Amino acid sequence: MILNFLLIHFMPGDPLSNMVPKGARYQNLRWSLSEKFHLNASLPEQLVVYLYNTITLDWGVSYQYNRSVSSIIFQDLKWTMLLVGSSTFIMVILGIIIGALSAYRRGSAFDVSATAITLFFYGMPVFWFALILQLVFTTNANPLGISWWPQLPPSGYYDVGRFGPELKWELPIILSVLKYLILPAATLAIGSLAGVSLVMRGALVDTMTEDYILTARAKGLTDYGVLRHHALPNGMPPMVALIAMDIAFIIGGAYQVEWVFNYPGLGFRTITSIGDLDFPILQFIVVVGGVAVVVANFLADMILYYIDPRIKIS
Amino acid sequence: MGKHRLWRSVPAFFLLVAAVALLACGHYFQNCLDTEHAPVLVLFQDEGPTASAGGNQTVWKGDTVILNGSGSTGFEGAENLNYTWSITHSTKTTRTHFATLYGMNQTFVANRTGVYTVNLTVRDSLDRTDSDEVYIFAEEPPKTFLEQHWLSLIVAGVLLFIGAILLRKTIMNIRTGQPVVSEASREKTKLWLRKSRSTMKQLLRNPMGCAGVIILIFFGVMAVVGPMLAGDVKTLSSVPGSQLNLPSKEHPFGTDNFGIDILDELLYGARTSMIVGVFSAVIASVLGAAVGLYAGYAGGWKDEVVMRANDVVLSIPWLVLMIVVAAFIGKIDLGGMILIIGLTGWSYTARLVRAQVLSIKERQYVERAKAIGASDFSIIGTHIFPNTFPMIFANTILTVAVSILSEATLSFLGLRPVGEVTWGTMLSFASENSAFENNLHYWILAPGLCIVLLVLGFTLLGYALDEILNPKLRRR
Repeated sequence: MILNFLLIHFMPGDPLSNMVPKGARYQNLRWSLSEKFHLNASLPEQLVVYLYNTITLDWGVSYQYNRSVSSIIFQDLKWTMLLVGSSTFIMVILGIIIGALSAYRRGSAFDVSATAITLFFYGMPVFWFALILQLVFTTNANPLGISWWPQLPPSGYYDVGRFGPELKWELPIILSVLKYLILPAATLAIGSLAGVSLVMRGALVDTMTEDYILTARAKGLTDYGVLRHHALPNGMPPMVALIAMDIAFIIGGAYQVEWVFNYPGLGFRTITSIGDLDFPILQFIVVVGGVAVVVANFLADMILYYIDPRIKIS
Repeated sequence: MGKHRLWRSVPAFFLLVAAVALLACGHYFQNCLDTEHAPVLVLFQDEGPTASAGGNQTVWKGDTVILNGSGSTGFEGAENLNYTWSITHSTKTTRTHFATLYGMNQTFVANRTGVYTVNLTVRDSLDRTDSDEVYIFAEEPPKTFLEQHWLSLIVAGVLLFIGAILLRKTIMNIRTGQPVVSEASREKTKLWLRKSRSTMKQLLRNPMGCAGVIILIFFGVMAVVGPMLAGDVKTLSSVPGSQLNLPSKEHPFGTDNFGIDILDELLYGARTSMIVGVFSAVIASVLGAAVGLYAGYAGGWKDEVVMRANDVVLSIPWLVLMIVVAAFIGKIDLGGMILIIGLTGWSYTARLVRAQVLSIKERQYVERAKAIGASDFSIIGTHIFPNTFPMIFANTILTVAVSILSEATLSFLGLRPVGEVTWGTMLSFASENSAFENNLHYWILAPGLCIVLLVLGFTLLGYALDEILNPKLRRR
């Protein structure tokens, strides 16, 4: 955390120059602001203040928006979690299905084409894929000239124009939120699908050569039964570990997706805050990112323990 | 205790010295600039006032320009000259009012390149005026030799180092009377050649590897030949802002907002994108391998400290980390880009290498080497590193793919290498100028597809190599 503080504070640039208009008239405002944010204090002093405030959950006030950082971050976190959560869900389900099928029909046309297609999407810059999807699904006169295509909203998080700025738990609003979620979540999920499906395939291919699979076959189980009850449970552990490790990368992808789709999550906020040199927000975004990764690893350990009791918690 | 403290303050001391030296240098260079301002005084009698704004100056961008104006009254009754400096900044394409200053001697900071037209108007108490104009040319500071060639210098240094080691070995062999190429090393080379040939054969038989090799050969040729075929992509051929030309016979893919042919840019970008990807992956792999070897071999608390630090780096979202590192590096050119990606991408490699080292360390031959008194350095050099090398190599190729993606992402988010054309910068300019709405589909589609294919090629090759070289390690 100290590293985080130093890293952010040694970034070149002066945060006040973005808040205060240039000119002698504003000198007083400048002074009062730098007093307010302790910008005149020496670095160690600022560090002590920072550590104290972090522990007491007083995360300070954003330089730019003049609102408390925690309120901004928690408001954004909601949207990022929705996005990352739903796309991870889609990704895992699709990845397991594709991986399992291609491991089961190893070497078949389905296997080869699925691997090629997922790898193709894996090599795609996330933002580029987002741009393409945005164009294909939103422009009425899109380059393909398709008019029967479903039109999806290009940016934003729900229909603010129709439902007003206040978010309520009402069905039309929730539907609208979901509709706006489709494109970003699909982008993220498809972009990182290859990792999951390849690992699933690899693990299952190893498992399928085991003797107990042969035994299960010999007993006369159906293909589905073999896959579901004998092969899949043994293929799961490496997958869970992989997903936990990938969380940091998925968050990185979420940043780009949010930027392209104007989705008001943490990523969007990070990129604007870097432009504004808004230290308090940046610091805590990094903290939140770190916490997210730690939590994901912890959850993965718990799930691993649940699906594979042979693993002991050390 | 006292000794300990002293030791700790050494880096701080060096920093202090460096800071003082920097300040002194800055002061010195600033003083260098205002040498040529001998004001020219021209006197006319019984006429209006005369203004002289000094001579033309050529400065570097960011320098402070000192304006030494002078004026003389022609008529004795009229004193109280008023000095007004009006400064206009113009580049090839724009012309904006920069500042208006009052007073005889003034300074301003030339913070942009281009030409500053400085107009001095003097007005005497009888409201008679005279004006004089000078031009201040602000240029990009010239790159020092180091700045321009640091990358090739590093490469040359490494090559020289290897050459020196080989030379030393040869000389030692000659002096001690051994044959220059011993029987054993000849055998080794033969073995290595046979092994690499069989790896190659396996690679080409593997469908994934074969596809990867074909794609990479295509892009390799493009990177070597492309920039020669491409026209000049760096100098602006026409006025920017209004030059989006639709695809035509002359420009099959159209031109971008600077009037540069998109196909040319695409061909040119092949080389730069490859350079960024490969070099940053090499930097990342070398760093990661060094950290992993150290942590795995040293073990104990050292291992613990290094790996926890590594965890911290891994837990920060990579994009944020890169952007922060970019802010540190400041001005980004191609080398800066390579540094950013290389310095942030090593932690995953370090983890892999460490895990591998931990298992190799326990093998018997390492124990035997230790027993006969081999030094740590030579154990790592002769036993551990060669055994981890196949994995590091396969991983480097996978890292190249990730680096190319990172470059594109950073460029897209606005952290572009200044004055360079890569596929990432093309995409970023394309989306800024809404290429699709302007019917320039190729501008977004072509570089994007190139990136996808290139990344795909490296990924396929990496996976295939991983499968062939580390059959046991595949499950990570």
